[in-house]
Amino acid sequence: MATRRMTRSEQLQQTIMYPVDWLEERSGLVGGLRYFLFRKVPGDINWFQTLGSATLTAFIVQALTGVILAMYYKPDPNSAYDSIQHITNDVFAGWLVRGMHRWGASVFIILMFMHMGRVFLFGAYKYPRELNWIIGVLLLASGLGEGFTGYLLPWDQTAYWATVVGININGTAPFLGPFLAQFLQGGTYINADTLSRFYAIHMLMIPGAIAALIGLHLYLVIRLGVTSPPWSKEAAGTGPLNGASPNGRATRTGLSRFRRGR
Amino acid sequence: MPSDRIVERRRVFQQYKADVKERGKPFYPFAMFHDTVMSLVVVAVITGLAIVWKYSTPGDHIGTDPGWLGKLYDDPADPGTINFVPRPDWYFYFLFYLLRIFKWPNSVIIGTIGLPTVLLVLLLLVPFIDIRSERRLLRRPVAIVASVLVVVSMGVLTYKGATAKESLGSELVAKVPGWAKAANFTANKQAVGGAHLFAVSGCLNCHTYQGTGGGFAGAPNLTAEGAKNKGVQFQIDHLKCPACVNPGSPMPSFAGLGEANLKKLASFLEASKGTK
Repeated sequence: MATRRMTRSEQLQQTIMYPVDWLEERSGLVGGLRYFLFRKVPGDINWFQTLGSATLTAFIVQALTGVILAMYYKPDPNSAYDSIQHITNDVFAGWLVRGMHRWGASVFIILMFMHMGRVFLFGAYKYPRELNWIIGVLLLASGLGEGFTGYLLPWDQTAYWATVVGININGTAPFLGPFLAQFLQGGTYINADTLSRFYAIHMLMIPGAIAALIGLHLYLVIRLGVTSPPWSKEAAGTGPLNGASPNGRATRTGLSRFRRGR
Repeated sequence: MPSDRIVERRRVFQQYKADVKERGKPFYPFAMFHDTVMSLVVVAVITGLAIVWKYSTPGDHIGTDPGWLGKLYDDPADPGTINFVPRPDWYFYFLFYLLRIFKWPNSVIIGTIGLPTVLLVLLLLVPFIDIRSERRLLRRPVAIVASVLVVVSMGVLTYKGATAKESLGSELVAKVPGWAKAANFTANKQAVGGAHLFAVSGCLNCHTYQGTGGGFAGAPNLTAEGAKNKGVQFQIDHLKCPACVNPGSPMPSFAGLGEANLKKLASFLEASKGTK
């Protein structure tokens, strides 16, 4: 009797796990997810180190609300403004989605700066994480690019004239400036194609780049690990904890040679 | 043969990996719990801002009147009527204000392109400038000074950009008779009409005229523009396409005003030979 029940629960388990095993056998994704979730991180990480994932969340909010807005927005000078009014005043919860996209942009930018500040103050950009800092700076620049291109889309007076001057300022750059201005405008002047061009850059080109860069960024975070806070007495990199090293890792890094040299 | 520094930092990283393996904790559930809480806070803040933006708008929450977080939308874009305030979103205010510090034509490029490019390159190079392995802040004085300087200067520039005043066209129109009198063109109907257009078309958001105006993007003072005697036709051509006449000028085209209005504006500029 006991044997039969065992067999049955085993069969049940096997049936439930079959799709998971099927996926694992063909892709290795389950193992990858397991590695991601159960990989070890230093025991002393703190709340400041959630700013990166908070930034990712803000980006996901932008992506989702952006897709919904794209379903109603019309990137054409004759109808863009009306479609924004339609979204804000008529579409169900359109004001909420547009408001979240508009203010999510600010939150995204603030979080990027805060995350960068955290990494800087923790010295977390140092060997072997230099490359991830560079990817982060590129993400910051792309995020600001999203802010610049998205600002034109409501096609109201503020948007239009801020962008005219913004493009003209890009145009003053030596060598590349005129080409950049022409690329952004789709011509020598701001014209009917400029709006759809900004729309394409805003919702296809830069978000694609950002998504790819975030993928690389996370890959490097997982590969290289998260740093301990620099002040931590039990920071990873200190070696086994035996209470003999009140200064934490400092006695073992460059500073020890500095002291010996003195 | 790698240097001592490289050998040492490789050793520390191997030690880091060994330590994490030995006494770290799994990402799930510990770190993931923190991340989830923080992400929920982010979504809540974004949603809250959207709600406040909508429901602090006066009336039935759909108009162009500003609420606590500003207008839901401005009036429709109109390339023809040029009464505008070229103001970017708040996170560009620090760049925006740089344009008031550097003056056309010699140094404006430092503010628009030079400084931002240098800062971006410096930011990219941070890990290669600071190659020591020391991470504790109190032992990184240069890093402390640099970060304080960056935060303070960006904060001040953002604040100055946010509080920079733009005059309204309606207030500026009241000054037209005074301008005409000081520059002695009261009898010139074309020029007085041009002065009205000048006041309402947003010119003073960048230019200065008889002590009024923005001084933005290095735009020159036009009080004595007429004294250069460039001629009405030059002024019209310049208003139509500033960068064609004056290569590299960031001034937008005012061709949308129409030929008759451009002629008035040009007469006004030519009549402005300074005050005595």
